[in-house]
Amino acid sequence: MGAAILGNVSGKFTVGWLYPDLMNIYGDRGNILTLLKRAEWRGLDAKLIELGRGAESEMLDVDVFFFGGGQDREQALIYDDLRQYKQDSLQRAVGNGAQVLAVCGGYQLLGHYYQTADGERYDGIGLIDVRTEAGKKRFIGDVVVETEIEGLSPRTLVGFENHSGRTFLGPGATPLGKVIQGQGNNGSDRLEGCVQGNIIGTYLHGSLLPKNPQLADHLIGRALSRRDGGGLSPLDDSAELAAHDWILQRAQRR
Amino acid sequence: MCGERVDVIRKTAAVWAGKATGTLSRVTRRGGGTTLPGDVARAIDPQILTRLAQDLTYGSIVITGTNGKTTTARLLSWLLEGAGHRVVSNRAGANLIFGATAAALKRAGPDGRLRADWGVFEIDEASLPSAVQEIKPRVTLVLNLFRDQLDRYGELESIAKKIERALADQRETSRTILNADDPRVAEIGLSLPRPPLWFGLDDTSIASRTLPHAADARTCPRCGSSLIFDAVYVGHDGVYRCPNQDFARPDPDIKATDITLNGFDSLAMSVGGARIEMPLGGLYNCYNVLAAFSAARSIDLSADYIADRLRTFKAAFGRQERVEFRGRHLVLVLSKNPAGFNETVRTAVDLAHGTKFVIGLNDRKADGTDVSWIWDVDFEQLTGKATVVIPAGVRAHDLAVRLKYAGVDAEPPQTDSGAALDELIKCTGEGDTVYVLCTYTAMLDLRAELVRRGWAQPYWET
Repeated sequence: MGAAILGNVSGKFTVGWLYPDLMNIYGDRGNILTLLKRAEWRGLDAKLIELGRGAESEMLDVDVFFFGGGQDREQALIYDDLRQYKQDSLQRAVGNGAQVLAVCGGYQLLGHYYQTADGERYDGIGLIDVRTEAGKKRFIGDVVVETEIEGLSPRTLVGFENHSGRTFLGPGATPLGKVIQGQGNNGSDRLEGCVQGNIIGTYLHGSLLPKNPQLADHLIGRALSRRDGGGLSPLDDSAELAAHDWILQRAQRR
Repeated sequence: MCGERVDVIRKTAAVWAGKATGTLSRVTRRGGGTTLPGDVARAIDPQILTRLAQDLTYGSIVITGTNGKTTTARLLSWLLEGAGHRVVSNRAGANLIFGATAAALKRAGPDGRLRADWGVFEIDEASLPSAVQEIKPRVTLVLNLFRDQLDRYGELESIAKKIERALADQRETSRTILNADDPRVAEIGLSLPRPPLWFGLDDTSIASRTLPHAADARTCPRCGSSLIFDAVYVGHDGVYRCPNQDFARPDPDIKATDITLNGFDSLAMSVGGARIEMPLGGLYNCYNVLAAFSAARSIDLSADYIADRLRTFKAAFGRQERVEFRGRHLVLVLSKNPAGFNETVRTAVDLAHGTKFVIGLNDRKADGTDVSWIWDVDFEQLTGKATVVIPAGVRAHDLAVRLKYAGVDAEPPQTDSGAALDELIKCTGEGDTVYVLCTYTAMLDLRAELVRRGWAQPYWET
């Protein structure tokens, strides 16, 4: 721990948390803490910017955005704000190489639309080529995914899902991985999440990044690589991987 | 006439079958017999709980909320029993409708009649609508609505809506008593056809100004603006207002002032002209005591009697229970969700100056199968203060990661409760006080191990 990042010029790392007060239902702070700590442990000056309603400044300083899930009531409260204050800046930041991790409600809102059981459509902001429809049964439980992202080790991602939305990928998006245990995007095509350019969308919480440190480093590394070519120094991940393996082992016993 | 007789026969049959099931499960040691008898009796007579509740001399008090149900129910039973009433209550944390049914069955006589004056039932938030419908309580108490087990109940909002509808539909003679300091509970109360009785804390000297990470329900129900908190007591409970004056904390009818807290050992507060001093610790328990006080006053127990009787109160299973274990003083404190955990950690660290901990996390059904909430608990409170922290329980590895990112230097995780106790002996000395903060079944597991080793009594005998 504490070894400096190889060749990082600015030494800064900024996480932007979209709607931390409203879209924060499934222990999302775990994802934020993991990004910040893992950057700090590498000697970076890690900073969190909270992007609540009305906020739009500083979005271009962000290296990794996190967009979590919320209850229907909260989701309705951010719906207009997302368009009015965040959409353009987010799009530009992503164009400049910022990374986005969107979970559950955040994942759905970045897609084209969410269609309720009555057929009513709520438009998303269309940054990723996915669409979501309400399903009858809630998918709840442990999930194990084999990821298709290049170079991640371990190749498995573990988490917990709790959603009734069924998300389908268009040709612009590739899946985050194949479902080994659980339901994933829609329970039918055995795919989970999506990757499109600098954006990762997923239903996995639990939180996701603490037990999948390789994915956290993937996001940090990609965000920093736009400023310099250096990689991240390794950390001692034995605690994180023990928690990861425990879920894998339980999945195998089932 | 004929139909009535059939009902009586069915009720009696249901009571007998339920009671037999309870005896069988106790004899075969398959647990405390706390819910199964309810299942059996309800299968024979689906209206059994309504019929038994009608036998009560005075009626029932139903208590719901995310945290504090068991303690509040226990407080009310204690108060009623001290006043000479026979009380039936579902005591072992069996708080679904089956548990309430089983408790009533246990006290029913061979003629199928429930022999008690009062029913005191703690009811899980999601089960409140059916409980209110079946029990038809005289008093319904809503303590708080915090983020809890999302995997099991769905989201806070939908539960709150269901509770709201159930309370609005109650008959006129029933009284609703609500926590004014909880914005989500207050929202329920403001939409009821008859005004509820409000209780709240009124002592900003023990409040903080910032909301913990676990807080939720922080927006105005009318305009959606984020609420401004002038004081925060527990979780999102405090003194709040909407910046556009659309919504604010209702002025409490019953207020607690001059609060003094002494670790997990005792608390004192002034309420309704009486000074309460009692052996129960933590700010969160001030709410439970205040809620019980409010309910007791509403059924005409005097403030002086309440204060006097509470002096000798004993906490329920796993809630601030003390166990001696090989020279160590264990303080067992059930901690089930972010709001609860933040308070038990705060009480242990700040008020009791505890330095040694076992933290237990399971992910069985009763605990919630989704453990992501541990990231909303401010375990950072332990950083630099705790010298020994042992992560335990089925999900000890997840806790270990959480503690690592909180900057806590924890011991190796122990998924086996026996191993956790061995680790405790290894890391602590005789005379040490160890705070054992666990989720429900993690506490059962650790306690069962203490029973096996001869240091504690089985829980249904305490």
